[in-house]
Amino acid sequence: MRTRATRLALLLPVLAYTVFSAGPYLWTATMSLRTTDEIYRSHYGLPIPAHWDKFHRAWTEFGYATYFRNSAVVSVASVLVVTVLGAMAGFAFARRRYTFPLREPLFLLIFLSIMFPPQIMLLSLFQILVQYRLFNSLTGLVLVYVATELPLTIYLLRAFFAQIPSELEEAARIDGCGDWSMFWRVMFPMALPAVATTVILNFIYFWNEFLYAVVFITRQQIRTLPLAIQFLVSDQYQDIGMLATGLMIATLPVLIFYLFLSEWFVKGMTAGAIKG
Amino acid sequence: MYFAFAIYPVLVTFYNSVHTLRMDLGMQYEFVGLEHFREIVGADDVFWKASRNSLTWAVAAPLVDMPLALALALLLYRRVPFARFFRTVWFTPVLMSYPVVGVIWLWVYNYDWGMANLVLRAVGLGNFAQAWLASPATALPALILVTTWMFAGFNMVVLLAAIHAIPTDYLDAARVDGASGWRRTWHVIVPLIRPTLVNLTILDFIGKMKQFALVWVMTRGGPMWGTETVATYVVKRAFEWKTLDLGYPSAIAVLWFVIIFGLSWGLTRVLQRREALEF
Repeated sequence: MRTRATRLALLLPVLAYTVFSAGPYLWTATMSLRTTDEIYRSHYGLPIPAHWDKFHRAWTEFGYATYFRNSAVVSVASVLVVTVLGAMAGFAFARRRYTFPLREPLFLLIFLSIMFPPQIMLLSLFQILVQYRLFNSLTGLVLVYVATELPLTIYLLRAFFAQIPSELEEAARIDGCGDWSMFWRVMFPMALPAVATTVILNFIYFWNEFLYAVVFITRQQIRTLPLAIQFLVSDQYQDIGMLATGLMIATLPVLIFYLFLSEWFVKGMTAGAIKG
Repeated sequence: MYFAFAIYPVLVTFYNSVHTLRMDLGMQYEFVGLEHFREIVGADDVFWKASRNSLTWAVAAPLVDMPLALALALLLYRRVPFARFFRTVWFTPVLMSYPVVGVIWLWVYNYDWGMANLVLRAVGLGNFAQAWLASPATALPALILVTTWMFAGFNMVVLLAAIHAIPTDYLDAARVDGASGWRRTWHVIVPLIRPTLVNLTILDFIGKMKQFALVWVMTRGGPMWGTETVATYVVKRAFEWKTLDLGYPSAIAVLWFVIIFGLSWGLTRVLQRREALEF
């Protein structure tokens, strides 16, 4: 039987790591509610009184409304496209019935491309985007995002579809469903748990993506949040209070969802762990 | 058929990554053969510094992250109260973007009022307080610690799931055979989650070989190339240096891609073989 003392001994490192893990973010959270003047007087004071209006100012005066909107548009659009295409392709790869030329080599190719480092595609994608006038546009960014996350989405959803017994498909067929309606009315709803996993994984990836954004976007008006933060930290380095508020705006939506759906988030992020 | 359309972007990507292999100068293609590669390996000091930094990062990070993550997972497995709460908190950093994390840690490493020096001064080690990101000797380790902050909790969650997936019969059997807590941990749990450990180690390794964003936000590769990684060097050569040549950085990217693939393949072989020997 474990005594109180050993229990406490176990708890100590746990608490220590929790302080290390949560400390920096909580500190930022307190600063987000304090003015820069207050922060320079004492960096570790509590946010009393709390300046909630800073969020409003960041939103309206510092352009976070625009950046937030850009991030939201890009992330949601990319997730939608990648989910629809990924589910259809994943299903096609899961069923041997759908034969098409080079099926197996294609799947191998997709699987390998999951592990490709982005740098190998970065410069060639830059050339393509410039060539097709998609450089410096959110559409171009969405296309790139879809292309980079599609392989992993196909791979994950294929594995799930392969587990669904094909009897269900046949039953739907007997009831008069074609390929299209069978997929959308029977298979897709059944795959919703797996789809939710990929939606979360992809959304977090798109919301936080930086490398492609920094190379493909140079106009201020269409910066996404990670990009905006990188520029603000060099332009307004002194204004710590406002930056902290910006960091909260960039992270809180995700963290609030995470609080309520943490199991799903953990599932989603760890499903992506096969990606290099 | 619709799946052909789904695969199209991937094919375009492939088409282009093949095209990167061809040496193009500016927007005008000019064939230079292997000239770029010869220059990279033979005469580019910055490339060697960058690759040494990337490799250091890729080797050091798993060595720090994995034991830490395993220790934390084992702690939580021993029914610590509020385990779910701790798990939730530890996992959080991985949900943030690199720029956000970068800014927060720029503050943590601030010389005058950053948390790092605050803690050192508080425990009487004020002499060690320093501007962590300003010296080439401490900047890279400081950045490595940031990725540990991000990924140790994540790795911990994956390991904990693997431990929970072990059939309790095995552990019960070990207990019946009289194995103590430590022996059960080292001789039953760790060997059984070895595949997960190997996978995470390799992912950690590859992830750090590709590291770009954190460096870009926090140090831009400085001071004195002290934190330059291959990825940041590629982007700098392509878009910041006035050479206006996409061919050279493309060649670096290709070379590094081959190295990453080779090393992770080798690492997989080595780690898996050791696994085979132990069973």
